[in-house]
Amino acid sequence: MSGLTQVTIDFQTSHLVFPILIGLVLALLGAAILVRDRRAILTSGQMWAQVWHSMDRVRFFGALALTVIYFLTMVPVGDFWPNTGYGFLICSVPYVALLGLLFMHERSARNVVTVLAVAGIAPPIIWWLFSEVFFLTLP
Amino acid sequence: MDILNLVMDPLFLGLILGGTMMGIIFGAIPGMTATMAVAVCLPLTYSLGLVNGLALLLSLYVGGITGGLVPAILLGIPGTPSSITTTFDGFPMAQRGEGEKALKIGIVSSVVGGLLSLVALYFFAPLLAKFAIQFSYVEKFLIILFALTVMAALSKDMLLGIFSGFLGIFISLIGTYDVTDGGNGHTRLIPPGTGYWLDGGFALLPVLIGIFGLSVILEEAEKGMPRGQSLKDIEVGPHSRFSFSVFRGQIVNLVRSSGIGTFIGILPGVGGSAASILSYTAAKTTSKHPERFGKGEPAGVIASEAGNNGLTGGALVPLLSLGIPGDSTTALLIGAFALQGVQVGPLFISQNPETWNAMIIAMIFANIVMFITMYFAIRWFAMVIAVPKQILFPFILMMCVIGSYTINYGIIFDVWTLLIFGLFGWFACKVGIEIAPFIIGFILGPSAEIYFVKSLESFGDLTIFFTKSWIAVILWVLILASVAASVMIARRAKASADQTS
Repeated sequence: MSGLTQVTIDFQTSHLVFPILIGLVLALLGAAILVRDRRAILTSGQMWAQVWHSMDRVRFFGALALTVIYFLTMVPVGDFWPNTGYGFLICSVPYVALLGLLFMHERSARNVVTVLAVAGIAPPIIWWLFSEVFFLTLP
Repeated sequence: MDILNLVMDPLFLGLILGGTMMGIIFGAIPGMTATMAVAVCLPLTYSLGLVNGLALLLSLYVGGITGGLVPAILLGIPGTPSSITTTFDGFPMAQRGEGEKALKIGIVSSVVGGLLSLVALYFFAPLLAKFAIQFSYVEKFLIILFALTVMAALSKDMLLGIFSGFLGIFISLIGTYDVTDGGNGHTRLIPPGTGYWLDGGFALLPVLIGIFGLSVILEEAEKGMPRGQSLKDIEVGPHSRFSFSVFRGQIVNLVRSSGIGTFIGILPGVGGSAASILSYTAAKTTSKHPERFGKGEPAGVIASEAGNNGLTGGALVPLLSLGIPGDSTTALLIGAFALQGVQVGPLFISQNPETWNAMIIAMIFANIVMFITMYFAIRWFAMVIAVPKQILFPFILMMCVIGSYTINYGIIFDVWTLLIFGLFGWFACKVGIEIAPFIIGFILGPSAEIYFVKSLESFGDLTIFFTKSWIAVILWVLILASVAASVMIARRAKASADQTS
């Protein structure tokens, strides 16, 4: 009987023991959820259709697209001036401005000027604080 | 640095003042939380050192939890999830012109709850840590298992809660089984073609910042960035002046609610909303006038705010004595410790007495600063609600990028991790994956692996998890009790739902 509970772990394969165990538990829990919530899962298409229908697609996907472009451009731009953080600084200004304009409801001259002013002032201050004062690495 | 030098240090005091005020602002803006404030400000701690960095983060925590009462009372919208019950009586009070009175009741209750929880932290955490020093790998593994079951048991859905915790553990195992932790240095769970980036797994801070920063902004964007309030909507109300006499007969309520909040904080991953709901329920059921609750009863505001601020000290108890975060915000503090190369656990307090004292002092000062600034400048803080999100959110995203990029001294994959987990956080909310157990699982996963594998390597028998010591037996009893309690709660909730339908 005691043999059933005895375990020998080979050091060379010890990195797989816990992931396999957790994977098995996850599979069991996933199966239990599938069985219990099968109706909800089968009709989840409706839920996603509802999400798609009710979401503000311009702001959601616009924010995502701007963020992806921001991440993609920071390093190549920064490579022109290595170890200066200019990539972060140069890309953050249009990112903050465009995201602010995207999120804005009433694009009155006053609101637009406020967002543009923030976009022009905040990134340089943040860049100066982290790059020049705290000496942190920025793209 | 001794205590006198610390309290005379202008940087230390300035960080507490700034952190508390910034935390209040984050808490006061609906949709932004104390957790987000800590996530956004984490990169600032790189250069501040551990003591000053913690002073900033703990002040943000105290301010953020308290700031949620401002919109809860003035608008009926909880600024943070933990101030949900403050809306029940605070908002009706504001509607009848007693906004300022309700706010000041909430502020006084918050500072009492915060300070009482610090007393519990100061005396209880070292005791628990001394006890936990005796723990072997077996008990340490069981403590983590207990933390996960408690969290899962108190989730909205126990099965999904457990699944979320294990999913967090699974994702934390991606990468190398670290030699420095006693592993064999081999990699696992890395999808083909991603070995270059995922060799070390996902870094903790970008994951946390993505889930608590970016995903919140994505949710707001999905909802079309709901319009904030205009200044004219915010009426503090001059009709009824605040007097401390309102607390006459409420001392028991105040102390009980602070105690409940502290206790809930000690339970891993449960969170402030449970603390305030339980405190509010206890106040209502023991009140001579339960019918007044929900209609503008000051006792309701007292219970809710003392309860959620009681959480602040309580949540630090398991973090500093066992290395297990008490809630999402203290999970982020683990990141701050990791940045400074300090490991939290049973040895932390005895090996870092200066840091421990500094944390207590920082939290006392943060509570005092919170009280003074909010009590005397509440009308100014009320205006924060009207700050437009189109200005705040891009700025926050920029800070999220800095936090993620600088964690490993400039690795762009960490920025992509931020995006991946920001999207994951948004998706998780849609499909019911519980974020708190997921995060705690992610944080504790690597430790759980080491403790589990080393236990088996040492003893070679699965029964060791049950027979190692009387502590192991007690932990199993607690694990089973938490699961049983959860099943009972779920059955009662189902029965009452069936009755109402």
